Amino acid sequence: MIPVNFDYESPSTLAEALKLLASREDAKVLAGGHSLLPAMKLRLAQPALLVDIGRIAGLSYIRESNDQILVGAMTTHADIASSKLLQRSSPLLSQAATQIGDTQVRNRGTIGGSLAQAHPGADYPAAVLALDAQIIAAGPSGERVIAATAFFVGMFTTALRPDEIITEVRVPKTENESVVYKKHHHPASGYAVVGVAVRLKVSGGKIESAALGLSGVSQNAYRATAVEKALRGKPVAAIREAAAHAAENIEALGDYYASAEYRKHLATVMTRRALEQAASGAAK
Amino acid sequence: MNEFSVIGKRIAMVDAAGKTTGAGKYTDDLSVPGMLVGKILHSPYPHARIKRIATSRAAKLDGVVAVVTGKDARNPYGILPVGHDEHALALDKVRYVGDNVACVAAVSETIAEKALELIDVEYELLPGYFDPEESMKAQTDLIHDNKPHNIEKDYHHVFGDPDKALAEADCVMEGRFIANEVTHAAMEPHSTLAAFEIDSQTGKPGRLTVWSSTQVPYYLQHKLSLVLEMPMAQIRVIKPLVGGGFGGKSEVIPLEIIAAIAARAARAPVKITYTREEVFWAHRGRPRTIIDLKTGVKKDGTITAVKARVVQDGGGYCSYGVVTILYSGALLGALYDIPNIGYDGYRVLTNKPACGAMRGHGTVNVRFAFESQLDEIALKLNLDPAEIRRRNLLKPPCVTVNNLRVQSYGLPECIEQVVERSKWRERKGKLSRGRGLGIACSHYVSGAANSIIRSDMPHSTVNIKIDRDGGVVVYTGTSEIGQGSDTMTAQVAAEVLGCSLGRVKIVAADTDLTPIDIGSYSSRVTFMAGNATLRAAEEVKKQIALAAARKMDCAPEELVFRDDLIVRGDDFGKGFAGEGARATQSEASVSGHVEGQILRGSLQQKRKDEGPKDQMTFEEAVVAAIDSHGALTGTGSYAPPLEARGGKHKGAGVGPSPAYSYSAQVAEVTVDEETGEVTVHKVWAAHDCGRALNPVSVEGQIIGSVWMGMGQALTEEMVWKDGMLMNPGMLEYRSPSSVESPEVEPIIVESIDPEGPFGAKECSEGSLAATIPAISNAIYDAVGIRLHECPFTPERVLAALRALKKSKHINLTEGVDPAAPTRFREHGGALCFRGKGPERHALDPGRREATVEAGGDD
Repeated sequence: MIPVNFDYESPSTLAEALKLLASREDAKVLAGGHSLLPAMKLRLAQPALLVDIGRIAGLSYIRESNDQILVGAMTTHADIASSKLLQRSSPLLSQAATQIGDTQVRNRGTIGGSLAQAHPGADYPAAVLALDAQIIAAGPSGERVIAATAFFVGMFTTALRPDEIITEVRVPKTENESVVYKKHHHPASGYAVVGVAVRLKVSGGKIESAALGLSGVSQNAYRATAVEKALRGKPVAAIREAAAHAAENIEALGDYYASAEYRKHLATVMTRRALEQAASGAAK
Repeated sequence: MNEFSVIGKRIAMVDAAGKTTGAGKYTDDLSVPGMLVGKILHSPYPHARIKRIATSRAAKLDGVVAVVTGKDARNPYGILPVGHDEHALALDKVRYVGDNVACVAAVSETIAEKALELIDVEYELLPGYFDPEESMKAQTDLIHDNKPHNIEKDYHHVFGDPDKALAEADCVMEGRFIANEVTHAAMEPHSTLAAFEIDSQTGKPGRLTVWSSTQVPYYLQHKLSLVLEMPMAQIRVIKPLVGGGFGGKSEVIPLEIIAAIAARAARAPVKITYTREEVFWAHRGRPRTIIDLKTGVKKDGTITAVKARVVQDGGGYCSYGVVTILYSGALLGALYDIPNIGYDGYRVLTNKPACGAMRGHGTVNVRFAFESQLDEIALKLNLDPAEIRRRNLLKPPCVTVNNLRVQSYGLPECIEQVVERSKWRERKGKLSRGRGLGIACSHYVSGAANSIIRSDMPHSTVNIKIDRDGGVVVYTGTSEIGQGSDTMTAQVAAEVLGCSLGRVKIVAADTDLTPIDIGSYSSRVTFMAGNATLRAAEEVKKQIALAAARKMDCAPEELVFRDDLIVRGDDFGKGFAGEGARATQSEASVSGHVEGQILRGSLQQKRKDEGPKDQMTFEEAVVAAIDSHGALTGTGSYAPPLEARGGKHKGAGVGPSPAYSYSAQVAEVTVDEETGEVTVHKVWAAHDCGRALNPVSVEGQIIGSVWMGMGQALTEEMVWKDGMLMNPGMLEYRSPSSVESPEVEPIIVESIDPEGPFGAKECSEGSLAATIPAISNAIYDAVGIRLHECPFTPERVLAALRALKKSKHINLTEGVDPAAPTRFREHGGALCFRGKGPERHALDPGRREATVEAGGDD
């Protein structure tokens, strides 16, 4: 439980951080430290340099900008869970944050760190996918916008380049839609064995649009497009059948808690439950 | 007025304040001058011969003081006299991933870790045995050369005529049950600090002091003596606070001896504390058990015979294994009236960490099978599950067919209590789909009537010394491990002596100071050490009474000791109620604690001049006794009575106990039929503990047992892949947390045992075994599935539900088909953070060096 030796820097500006990150090949960004530090203690990660971005001012915020809510990368899960603004205008992110780990984890862990880590069982990925969120990455040559749908590439792998740092997540307001995050959590780690994020628009008993993000099932979170397609334009009663497609053509993970087949089964059950809850919310 | 003034009171444990404020010291909190850190190199292979160990590179590292290997202490040891098959550090072979190969003592943990990377070990890999039934077929490459077919021990017991009784039974139920492997997961990881006195003239190591997280200081002293070839008198074992044992510290764990070997080589104190992962490797938990069970009953539900074949996956060493496999058979008896019993037990060696004693030692898994099968029978006979249990009660006092003596027997009341409180009659079978109630019973020994080291030595001896100011010191060898042993001892002494609890100080578990006691396991402390304490206190009390009677001009037998006062029997009540008593007490305490010896002496003189007294304070009487015959000390001991020591057959030593505790539980669960998740909502748990010496403590033990049983029932399982533990951490091994804990309603039943101290029996283990089948039976009530393998994970529940519906759904995993419950092996998937098989050690540079020679090209 002792990491190998490493250097540590805590720059006070983003520019400085980016410079440090580019200076060494095996440099890593430290945000909340909830994934990186345990991996270092087990010596599964052995970065030579840690660039702690916790002292950079202005990376923790939740604010409104036209039809979007902007969330700073260093905003903690606890702040996201309790944000009145998010709860009112884009509650899916808050719902997901509420279900992450425990109080201590939520007080330290950050949205930027979680997204960059891209743990297959993390909760935010499902939510940002369902929300069609934008992830803002700063790099040596400036800022770029990465669509959430293009962000998750594989297990612990994202579209983020090694010299980039996430600075912001932009989510749309969903005031006219019904959103639900439903999770079957691992009984010890608290990670999602299956996490389903649903964004549903129902009008006159018909489903106008549906977006679903799933975490935990596969190497990386994904959009359940087959379910979305099966729901579009259909009555609410179509949910049961549509949910059966939740893990279609997905190569599921298996471990000693949940085999691949069980995960896929759970994905269909949790998807149906999430959709039903969203639909009943929309009916009100 | 109550019968007792200290016994039966709901009091805080005497060590609670120290533990909760952080003032209490556990072994890892200790530090002595010049202390080094010890780190152990573990085997990355499940079964291999050690060809060569090169330690010179490690020894040369700056900051390393000593590197020791098996050659530094060649004597084998083991907790059982028949199982001396372990070496603290491997001599020629390693037998499980995690086996101990070498130890470095260095000035810091970092340097010690680094030095481990510099030890080169060349292994010759041997075929590994991971499944007990496969292992039993082994012809070559045996795990221990003297154990053919890798069978540690097998027993074949026949009591009565089970075959005939089964043939004549109206109904016979047969089935295979599997309980997977679980471990203690005590909060405190094992820790040992070993320090030799260095002789100032010869410079050689002399006397050894070992501070260790142990349940059995005396056994540790004994094994240290054996391995280090030192007389026991040269070894002092001290047990600081222990953060939970549950059996995992009830035998000598390798680090306890390794620390001493390293300290001797380093000529400096060495402390080793296991990491959580090492705790999992050290293990000694409950073995994976395969139970083939057959029960025969008459039409009315009375049991005619039971036959069980039990196979236990014991791991690489004997440990307590012989005892475990015997308990599994013996405790088929003494719960219900079973006239014919057949038992075939196999303790099998495999290349995994040794299993040992764990809360409910030997009985838990078989009880799961038995109580499940009893419900299957009740269903077939259309009997209420509570009723079938009532119809099979023992009629004590009696001796069972397998020679277990039963006296106090609170089981009938336990059953009535849980039936009543759970509203069983109104609700069983009538709850909405998915919700159900289940009942099960269990029992356990109040200590083993025969010690593992066969002798006529009393199992507990206690000394008491009383100081002139009335302070009572109890010297006991029992280990307080969080279960309340110190509190029990203080309560018993205070009650007998009629003094306040605050006067009693406990000196425990220090082999230099405390008399031999065989330790804190098999729930023996309250019954045996409690009785020894009671006898020691009575002996001292006799001396006090003699002196007091002289002062009070009466016969010693007339005196009553209570609430720090000694009064004549006919003044009983008068002396305790009035204001006068209180005034006398405060006067006594002023003289004792503030004004000191000289004033007290003069006070005594003054009182002496006043003629015969009608009452004396405890302190006055103590002074009188010391004045009349010198230091006030007493000794008491306890040996189980001969008639409780069981039969004469091979293996008869295990199972007999002077008294058995009894439990009945009802569990209420819901089952999510889509996800397979089981939620336990409430458990009513009645436990017959003889007499509750401290009810709050008893309730805590009942709740803890239910909670631990629920872990084994629903989530806890050690998952293996080719001898590699896939979940060696609390994030992966899933003990339930407070979040999953159901409401538990503990119900104390007091049967007042004729031989227990104040009638008390055990309360710490017996309840656990009922929880698993109570939950299983409740699952049946909820959704109609009979689960034959625990833990009842969502996948197993789902597979059983699908089998029930006979649908042609996908086969989830091979192990969850209840018709063929072999173990599921597909795990360690991508989410398994820490790699799989011995390969994961390649991730760790600390192991990379060690595996170079035998491991190939990594």
